[in-house]
Formats: sequence, C-alpha cells, structure tokens
Amino acid sequence: MRESPGSLVRTVLLCVLALVAVGYALLGPRPSTSGSDDRIVLNYWEKWTGTEAAAMQRVVEAFNASQDRIHVNYLTMSSIDEKAMLSIAGGAPPDVLGLWSFNLPFYAQADAILPLDLPGITAETYAPAVRPLVFDGDRQLAGVNTCSSVALYVNLDHLDRAGLSGGDGDRPQTLEEFDRMVGPLSIVEHGEVVQAGFLHMDPGWWHWCWPGYFGGKLYDVETDTATIDSPENVEAFTWFQRGQRRYGRDALRRFQSAPTDNPSPYRNFLTGRLSMTIQGPWMARVIAESAPKLNWAAWPLPGPVGSPEAPAGPIECDILVVPRGAPHPDEAMEFIAFTQRQDMVELVSSLHAKPSPLMEVSESFRLEHPNHSIAAHEAILHSPNGFGTPPLAGWPELNAALTAGVDRIWNGDEDVATVLAEVQSEVEAQLERARIRRERRNQPRFGTGP
Amino acid sequence: MTWKRTMTGLLWISPWLIGFACFTVLPLVLGVWYSMTDWTLLEAPVAVGMEHYTRMLHDEVVHAATRNTLVYIVITIPLLTVVSIALAMLLSRPARFIAFWRVAVFAPSVLPLVALATIFKLMYDGELGVINRGLEATGLRGPGWFTDETWAMVAIILMNLWVVGPAMVIYLASLRDVPRDLHEAASIDGVGWWGRLVHVTLPMISPVILFNVIIGLVNAAQVFVVPYIMTGGGPNRATYFWSMYVYDAAFRYGDMGYASALGVVQFLAILLLTIGLLLIGRRFVFYRGAVS
Repeated sequence: MRESPGSLVRTVLLCVLALVAVGYALLGPRPSTSGSDDRIVLNYWEKWTGTEAAAMQRVVEAFNASQDRIHVNYLTMSSIDEKAMLSIAGGAPPDVLGLWSFNLPFYAQADAILPLDLPGITAETYAPAVRPLVFDGDRQLAGVNTCSSVALYVNLDHLDRAGLSGGDGDRPQTLEEFDRMVGPLSIVEHGEVVQAGFLHMDPGWWHWCWPGYFGGKLYDVETDTATIDSPENVEAFTWFQRGQRRYGRDALRRFQSAPTDNPSPYRNFLTGRLSMTIQGPWMARVIAESAPKLNWAAWPLPGPVGSPEAPAGPIECDILVVPRGAPHPDEAMEFIAFTQRQDMVELVSSLHAKPSPLMEVSESFRLEHPNHSIAAHEAILHSPNGFGTPPLAGWPELNAALTAGVDRIWNGDEDVATVLAEVQSEVEAQLERARIRRERRNQPRFGTGP
Repeated sequence: MTWKRTMTGLLWISPWLIGFACFTVLPLVLGVWYSMTDWTLLEAPVAVGMEHYTRMLHDEVVHAATRNTLVYIVITIPLLTVVSIALAMLLSRPARFIAFWRVAVFAPSVLPLVALATIFKLMYDGELGVINRGLEATGLRGPGWFTDETWAMVAIILMNLWVVGPAMVIYLASLRDVPRDLHEAASIDGVGWWGRLVHVTLPMISPVILFNVIIGLVNAAQVFVVPYIMTGGGPNRATYFWSMYVYDAAFRYGDMGYASALGVVQFLAILLLTIGLLLIGRRFVFYRGAVS
C-alpha cells in the first residue's frame, strides 16, 4: 500500500523533531567553566536580594578586579537551602554557597561541605560567639559573610511621653526594671490594645532565644540530650507568657491579628503601635528607609543572665561554604579567604548595618556605621553570654516542635511546664532518631570534632 | 498494517508515554523504595524496612496533619459542591450581562494560587484587611484570622471558595444537558422548584457531581500552597496539612525517606477514598442510557 502524502509529512516531521532533540541533548549548552578571557569561573549562590545582595556584589566585584585568574559569577536566589541540597545531591553544586549558620550542622553531618583551609585565619580571627557557628572543633567549615546579634529597639519618644528617661545611662539593667518600663508604655482603651510596650511575639522570629536570657538552653551538646523543660526554660517561658497576659489573649489576638510579615514584620514598631521590639542590626537601615523621623536607640535586652558589660542575646551568621562536588574547591577557598579580609568584612557589614564578626574592628567602621547603636550589637557579639542556635543537624525539626509549643504558651492559658514537657518528649524522639541515623552510618556527632 | 498503525499511534503519543513513565511511574516506584530507607538526600540511602510506617503511628505531627486534612476535606468538598452547583444554576438562567458574570466567577481560577493566597493574606489582616474593616463597618468585630486556631482554618476554607470556577463551569455544562421535557413533565405533575431540583436536576447531573467530588477530594487531600503562604501551618499546627509535612520532612528536615513514606500513605489514602466514592457512586449516581 502506498503511503499518503500526509503520512510522509508526518514521518519527516517526526524524524526532524527526533534529530533536533538528539542534537540538543548531545550538543546543547553546558555550564561554562571558564570565562571569555579564560579565567576560571566560580559560581557563587547567595540567598540575599535587594540592598543586601547589592552589598555582596561589591565584594564580588572587588575580588574579580583583584586578580586575573578567577572570575566569580554571583547569583542570588530564594529558598537557597533547598536548592543547595538538591544541587549537591544531584552532583552539580555551585563552587560557593551562601547559607545560614543554622544550616551548617546538617551539611557537615552529611559530609556535604568541604573543610576550609584559609591562610592566616584561625578561630581567634572571629568574635567568640561566632566561632562555634563556623568551626567544628579545629576544623573551619565556613567563612563568615556577616553576623548579627539581636538587641532591644526602643522608641525614645514613647519613653519620653511615658515619663521614662531614654538616656543610655538609664536603660534597664535588670529584667525587673525592664518589666516595670513596659507598663507605662502600654495603652489599653475599652479592652483594645492601642499601644503595646513590648511583645515577645512581635516579630516572633527568635522565640527560641528566651531561655538564653535565663541561663537555659534547649539542647546539651555534651550529653546530646534535650533540655527543653529545664527549670530555667520554664522560668523563661513563664515570663514570656506573662507578656501575653499583661494585655489579655483576645485583645492581643486582635492587636496582632496578622502574620508577622504581613505586609512588613516591622510595621508595629515603625508605626508607633509598639514601643520596644527585639530586632537585628539591619533595623537601622529599615528605619532610615521607612520611618526616618523615628527617634530610636538599641540596647541589649537585660535578663537574669548577663550584665551591662557582658549582655546576653542571640547571634546568627550568614556563612560561606564550599559544597562537596564543587568544580573548583581551591579557587572557591581563595575567594572565601578574600571575603574574610577585614576591609571586605567591614564593607559588607556596614552596608548591611551589621556588626563585624571579626575580633579586629577598625575605628572608621564604628564611626561611619549606619547603625548608631551598633555598640549594643557588638557588646552581645563579644560577650560570653551571646548564644546561637543549638549545633544540631536536626535544628529545623526541633524548632518546629518548639514553635508549636510556643504558640500554645502564647495563645493559650496552658501550664508552661506541661507544654514544655510535651515538647521535650517530641524532641527526645527526634534526637533518638538522629542518634540511630548516625550509628547506621558510623558518623560522629556534629560539635564533637577534634 | 495493524502493527504499523499501532506503532504509529504509539510513536505519536510517545512524548506523553515517556513523560508518564519518567515523571509518574518511576517516581512512584522509587518513592515506595525510598520510603523503606533512611535517606537524607545528601547521603546514600540505607534500608530500614517498615520503620517509617511504624513511626507514623506514634508521630504527633502526623496525627495533627491527618486531623487537619480530614477536617478540611469534610468541610471543603460539600461546601464547594453546594456553592458551585448553586452558582451554576444561577448562571444557567438568562440574565443581562450573563457572559460577564460567568467570566467573573471563573476568572479567579486563572490566577496563580500563590498570588491569590498573598492577596487573601492581606485581606484577612486584622488591622488593615478589607474583611475586618468591612465587618467593623457593619458593627461586627472581626476575628484574629491567623492568631486563632479555629479561625485560621476557616480563613483557608473560605479562601478556597474563591476558586470555585472550574467546578462551576462543568456543572453549568451538565445543567444544559438536563432534558427540558423532564422538568416540564414534573411541573405538569405539580412538582415545585425544590422537588424538581432534588428529583430531576441532581439525579441527571449526578455523574458530574461524582466527577467533581473526586477531583475535589484529590485536590483537598493535597492542599499545600494556600496554607503554606497564608499561615505556615500555624498557629500551633492548626492549619498544618499532610502535604506540608511531606514537604517539610523532605526539604527542611532532610528526611527524604520519611517524606517518601508520608507520600506513599497519602497516595494510598487518596486511592482508597476515591475507590470508596466510586462504590458509593454506583448506588447514587444515575447514568442515562447505562445498561443495568
């Protein structure tokens, strides 16, 4: 039987399509490993966007201009931790990854990042609180991009109106003094909160931090045990719950009836509905952009632990790592070493309005810093009472269990000790699974390195 | 000739067949295998048998996610069915600007869910949101939509009604297919509007109802985007759904083996529920022209 013209066309069309597909697969584009001028191209993925991304762009440009052997290709993206995980698992990671310090134990536990060998850099290069966030024993696993500590941001005009002095010498030195300040700053009319003095859950990003102010912790590294329901933690979260009871649950629900980032996590403080809030040092930049007339200061939040000289507070870092399977690990470390130079660290920290993670800080950095209260953040960073998230590969899961417990404590009238005991039980099961997982693979626990 | 025709047909649908094999069958088979392994994605999987499945029995988060997903399914599907049939009946009547009204009901379904969820998140805002402002204007005090566990679930369910368009369009088409003579005969016999709805219209469109309920079930059992954006699963896991746990286990906790097990259970649950609905459908669905 003769083929009709239509079937011939179809056959030819199919063959052409098949040829195009095969040709694309065989000869299609490949990731470039060298630039147009034969420089080695490093792919650097970073999580920042906007102003913060632009700040790091300047460091990248400085590096690219500093030599003629390596070119860094800087790519910013969202959800970087998931993309990092998939790219490493798929065997096609970038050369340099910008992650958060709490990501480090997970990647280190799985041997998914390479130990760094950065000439001239030791643990002593960094502020004390930063060291455990990037080192596992003697091994440096990450460079520090920027770091931040969390301090109390205060609307000084509110303090004046409430008859409280806003002078730095009169800042609250103890938790009792702080609690006494919150009362006059809180305005409740006809059962509605008009102005809140301080809210523990605004913005609610650091709900894990309260134990740290009371000498408590969530996890004991030495014994690999959860300490969620320790007496210090019960005390911390009882104080936390009193913050809700000051205003009443229903009134607060109406006052805070929006997700924290809706439309801005800073809105209550910036609009004068909230007198004091805990925030990171970037708050100075946010205030300058959104509420430049706001009269503010930042102090360390006082607590039973810590003192004006050695305040307590949470600390986080943005880190740079070289993933397993990176095409150019040596060049990647060369780039990371460049970013750890004091001038580069101070450039990006200043543009982010953050303190320097290094021990050595230039006078000009402090004098020209965009956050006029940067000393408060530095004090926490250099304090022995500064603390980070627990060095756990399973921190996100622990944090999820804690978040649900914190919600119950904040939104309900439940007994704090009972709620924490339930969270403790959930976290103990998580730690047991993590232990079994390590045993299956004969892995050491993160944080117990040489 | 038959062989040649078969091969030609297979060749033409081969892109779909290859896609189905690579992106549905293979992941399904691999998912079952990975569900019986301890796998962080970054390390080689280690076989652990049925460990993940026994873990689920004692996992408080699984219990919360199951409870929330079931509540969501049980409320959403009847609500969506009633609203979409009601809208279809309204829009099947002759009216001025009928094309506009039909487009207006369908249009939100064209928008990406991410955009819709973000818009609704702003609308539900207790202080600035248009919903509470509107309630205030009528003298009512709006709830804290995202700070109250019950209202957070209500907010997600109500938002879901906004994307009723696709079901409504299918009902609209099926309503046009209901024979007029049946309605006329019922009217002559003195049957009122409600009687005609229950004894004529609904039986005649019952195959379409079953279809939409099954599609609604599959979608509701996998609800993810809206709660992920609007509430993040909170407060206190009150809006934490099964798919969110699958995602978190895989990509936030690095527990791909457990995530696979959760996915397998979700797949089987949807399959069983669908089979259950089809069995129920045998009793209640009326197929015109079907041989009994």
